[in-house]
Amino acid sequence: MKLLTHNLLSSHVPGLRPGGGFPLRIEAAEVRVRPVPFNAAFVSRLVPRLRWEALREAAESLGRPSELPPEPLPDYEADEEFLRRLHHVLLEVEVLEGSLQCPDSGRRFPISRGVPNMLLSEDQ
Amino acid sequence: LGCGTGKYLSVNSQVYNLGCDYCEGLVEIARKKGDEVLVCDNLNLPFRDQCFNAVISIGVIHHFSTKQRRIKAIKEMARILTPGGQIMIYVWAMEQKNRRFEKQDVFVPWNKALCSRHFSDQSGDKGEFVHTAKGQDIHPAQLVLSECSYQNNLQPETDSKHSRHMEHCIPRACCMKISEEENRFYSALGRSFRSWFFSRSLDESALRKQSDKMKHLKHEGVWANSTVPIQHSRHCSLDLGHHGALLNEQSLDDDDDVFVESLSLKKPQWSPATDALKDLSLNGEHQSVGQSKGDKASFINGPVEDRDHICGCNKDGAGKPDASKFFKRTSTTDSTDSALDSAVSVGDQTDAVLDTRAFMRYYHVFREGELCSLVEENVPELQILSSCYDHGNWCIIAERRG
Repeated sequence: MKLLTHNLLSSHVPGLRPGGGFPLRIEAAEVRVRPVPFNAAFVSRLVPRLRWEALREAAESLGRPSELPPEPLPDYEADEEFLRRLHHVLLEVEVLEGSLQCPDSGRRFPISRGVPNMLLSEDQ
Repeated sequence: LGCGTGKYLSVNSQVYNLGCDYCEGLVEIARKKGDEVLVCDNLNLPFRDQCFNAVISIGVIHHFSTKQRRIKAIKEMARILTPGGQIMIYVWAMEQKNRRFEKQDVFVPWNKALCSRHFSDQSGDKGEFVHTAKGQDIHPAQLVLSECSYQNNLQPETDSKHSRHMEHCIPRACCMKISEEENRFYSALGRSFRSWFFSRSLDESALRKQSDKMKHLKHEGVWANSTVPIQHSRHCSLDLGHHGALLNEQSLDDDDDVFVESLSLKKPQWSPATDALKDLSLNGEHQSVGQSKGDKASFINGPVEDRDHICGCNKDGAGKPDASKFFKRTSTTDSTDSALDSAVSVGDQTDAVLDTRAFMRYYHVFREGELCSLVEENVPELQILSSCYDHGNWCIIAERRG
């Protein structure tokens, strides 16, 4: 699971307050870093779509010092260094084993072999 | 959604592709191919609102067994689209090339040959199985909703993965495993039965055409270059799954059309051929099941949503000249053709059929206009941009309003 994916994920346990399922807290047992070709335009277009704070928290929780500023830099489109750091965090870091925890309900969703399983059980 | 083994996840490298499926086993296959995937429920998507530009649902919602579930699936997909984002939905059509399904709600046999070897290898598994019910007390939705086709490229170590998979799946009956007893019964019952259900012993050239087309589909760039077709496709009788749309650019087999036009397709004309074929295919099936499992995998090309079609019988067409005689006039190979012949209407089951239901898949096939109406009447957040009939499927493209 890449951190870009994580940024899109939200818990859907029934009965949460609106927005209460986001962001999921990552508990990572195994993390992998793999290079991915850099595409500045692509990363740049992602910026407005991201929940920035959640991304920073996620990066922190993986034990890597956050190389991301508290907010996207102004004129980020032209800032290649910024974009490269963002690219790295979003696409090159993967959680292979661990779990995702719903902030409100505490419900955990497992990640195994890089695949999160977001299914709820029958009674949920 | 319903990505299966990731058939469409690599078609556009310019976007971030995320595949989702209910079935862990299939998703793991996609993962091995390097796709970014997750396991989730189409009816309850684990995404925040309005975060995707595009969603595709190819051969998925026809597996939901009630209208409400189908609506829910579409609404969920609409929810996660950004305003202006688009969704493409493909479903099996009731109206097939020159034929129709008798009813809209059907069980279609799933190619057990792909699955039985693996499952019977699991006889050591601690009896995790789900009995097929006589009668209707299993909600059709609980039967096979997604196809878990464990193909030959699985490594032995996936056996343990399979059991894990079963643990997840069984409560939802994602894939049904039948007991040893039923397995034996089915095998005994089944040579002739299986051939009825599964054998589409086809003439050599039709099979080769099909496999050539399948190979052609591996071309990347076909998707990227083609715009989504708006016009009615030629009703090519080769159902190429949902890549069919892409092939509008290519020339479809004129041969097939010529044959079909000269054919009057009254049922009686089909049955003699089918009967004769049953006999022929019995032999063919024995051989092919034993030998061509590897071939099957390459034939089916990894993906999952919808094709039960070519079951690998007589794949090499070795020495079946009689078959081709019967098939001269019907050389078309509709992937839903075998489904048409072997589909069992929900509610129509006999005991014999019930026992084979362990490997049936539920379909609600759509009439013309039904998918559009479903969206127009129930999903106001979507606006339909275009719709068409494509190789045995109804499809629509819709945009999220706002």
